[in-house]
Amino acid sequence: MFDSLTLTRIPAEAEALRAPVRAFLADAVKDMPADRRARSWSGFDAQFSRDLGAQGWIGLTLPTEYGGGGKSLFARFVLVEELLRAGAPVAAHWIADRQSAPHILKFGTAEQAAFYLPRICRGEAFFCIGMSEPGSGSDLASVRTRAKRTPTGWQLDGQKIWTTNAHRSQYMIALVRTSGETGDRQKGLSQVIVDLSLPGITIRPITDVAGDSHFCEVFFDGVQLAADALIGAEGDGWNQVTSELAFERSGPERIYSSVVLLDEWLAYLRAKGNPSDASLVLAGRVLSTMTVLRSLSVSVNGALAAGESPVVEAALVKDMGTSLEQFIPAAIADALGDDPEAALPEALARTLRYVSQVAPSFSLRGGTREVLRGMIARGLGLR
Amino acid sequence: MHNELEAAFGQLLADNCTPDVVRAIERGGSPDALWSTLIESGFADALVPEAQGGAGLRLADVLPLVQACGFHAVPLPFAQTMAARAVLAHAGSARPSGPITLDATAAHMSAEERLALNAALCAAQIAGGTARVLEMSLEYSTQRVQFGKPVSSFQAVQHQLSVMAEQSCAARMAAQLCFASESHLPDARLAAMAMVVAGEAAEVVASGGHAIHGAIGISAEFDLQLYTRRLREWRVEAGSPTYWSRRAGCAWWDAPQSGDAVGFALDSLAVARF
Repeated sequence: MFDSLTLTRIPAEAEALRAPVRAFLADAVKDMPADRRARSWSGFDAQFSRDLGAQGWIGLTLPTEYGGGGKSLFARFVLVEELLRAGAPVAAHWIADRQSAPHILKFGTAEQAAFYLPRICRGEAFFCIGMSEPGSGSDLASVRTRAKRTPTGWQLDGQKIWTTNAHRSQYMIALVRTSGETGDRQKGLSQVIVDLSLPGITIRPITDVAGDSHFCEVFFDGVQLAADALIGAEGDGWNQVTSELAFERSGPERIYSSVVLLDEWLAYLRAKGNPSDASLVLAGRVLSTMTVLRSLSVSVNGALAAGESPVVEAALVKDMGTSLEQFIPAAIADALGDDPEAALPEALARTLRYVSQVAPSFSLRGGTREVLRGMIARGLGLR
Repeated sequence: MHNELEAAFGQLLADNCTPDVVRAIERGGSPDALWSTLIESGFADALVPEAQGGAGLRLADVLPLVQACGFHAVPLPFAQTMAARAVLAHAGSARPSGPITLDATAAHMSAEERLALNAALCAAQIAGGTARVLEMSLEYSTQRVQFGKPVSSFQAVQHQLSVMAEQSCAARMAAQLCFASESHLPDARLAAMAMVVAGEAAEVVASGGHAIHGAIGISAEFDLQLYTRRLREWRVEAGSPTYWSRRAGCAWWDAPQSGDAVGFALDSLAVARF
């Protein structure tokens, strides 16, 4: 069962990327405080993304003819693992690099690929994903935003919400209804690339519990799109969206969202000396679990690299990974609170507060825990 | 190699280590017939060097055998015997006939080394045992009808089975990691990490299996208990998850050169050979 989840080696040529990336990042994040680095793939820094692009580290797996690196998915795993480990502010290019660019390469025309991919690789075109709507969260097939044919292309009307970084991105790939009614569910859905600078688009950031504004409401009011805004086949939007999910769910970012906090705590233990037995037990538990989950994540990556579509396996690893990510802040808070008189370094305290507040999102974004467990159950033949 | 071994040994156990045989031996019946079959198969010397009449396999090669022992609830210390015979052979000692435990290697290994080897064996048997309990639970849930439909159609049951599948996959990966050795012995740190994860899986899958089966699963005549009892024994036999978490934590403390958490994970994985 789930036989692709087997011990998988990262090839030496992919591992070779680790040292140069580490050297680059050691310099790039050296002045960032821990609670900023803990923002991980939510940390937005356009200049950092352009610098990374200049190194050739955006679009690492894309063909070189489009400005990509022509490298394997394993090389990207190593790159992403190092970015997350360092707490690098990768959010600006993150979605374009992980999803939008491979998606355009797979479903787009040669013209679309030639237009968007080199810009993505240079860190100049940032993307957001227009999926959720006020009435469509986990039930994505109920989206109401509609693109109607016009003599010159499409007219877009409707609303998206919880769209990460819409206010700082140039483009959105939106899932919209192009025919039929909401009751038709998966039928009649298509994907369009929306230039967010067009007239008729209003974007309002939403402030989160930690005071950050990374997700947005986006309103479309008679937005005129050119004919070539459609990506892939009209009416095939649902299939296209689901094919993205294995890429979206299997990466190291589903294990390492709390790793900066973990490192701050481990460094605190070491600096303080004479760790309690309970602290060593907790450290060993977390590090052991993380190591095994990382091996599972590499194995899903291997299946993707082999051209498979391990959607269920990715869901399985994401559910376990986000559970660890959420366990870490709760367990560290408990461990630190076991010594209430001890003075905590401010950086550790701030990082713990931040991660504790945003941790609920780990098992919401990219498919909720409940949706994932339903997908696994389907994979087990139960539905 | 893996698949051939797995198929051959798995079939042998399916034919000769049935639930009835397991029960009979547990009730004090003679284990001789099963033991003779296992010995005649030659698998007991899988890890013994070829020069000494064994198959000369690496630990990584025999993982399917140990997993199969867990999957079929072998009521004899076959996995321990296989490991102990390898240690004795490598030390140039005579190998006694009959079932032995790792205690027989006391002259050649420290208590700590024996514990790590036993932890690896337990992790691998947990991987096999959780796969069996998951398989049984999936089958039962689709057959048991309540409220006019199979209980597998209820979301609460589906999610419980999904979590059991996750834990079983994690235990399997943990076992693969600590068996990823070129020799007949596991790396102690990987064995510790594996038992942390496999130990947790054992409890989640055993309790989940019973929840899915309801009252029938508690009855002696139903086979589930053959596997869940063993899962809970393997969880603590060579040290519990808390024990191995502490050992892994101490390994981290003693390795400041590994740097951060990912550095420690990568250094731990670097010794895996597969």
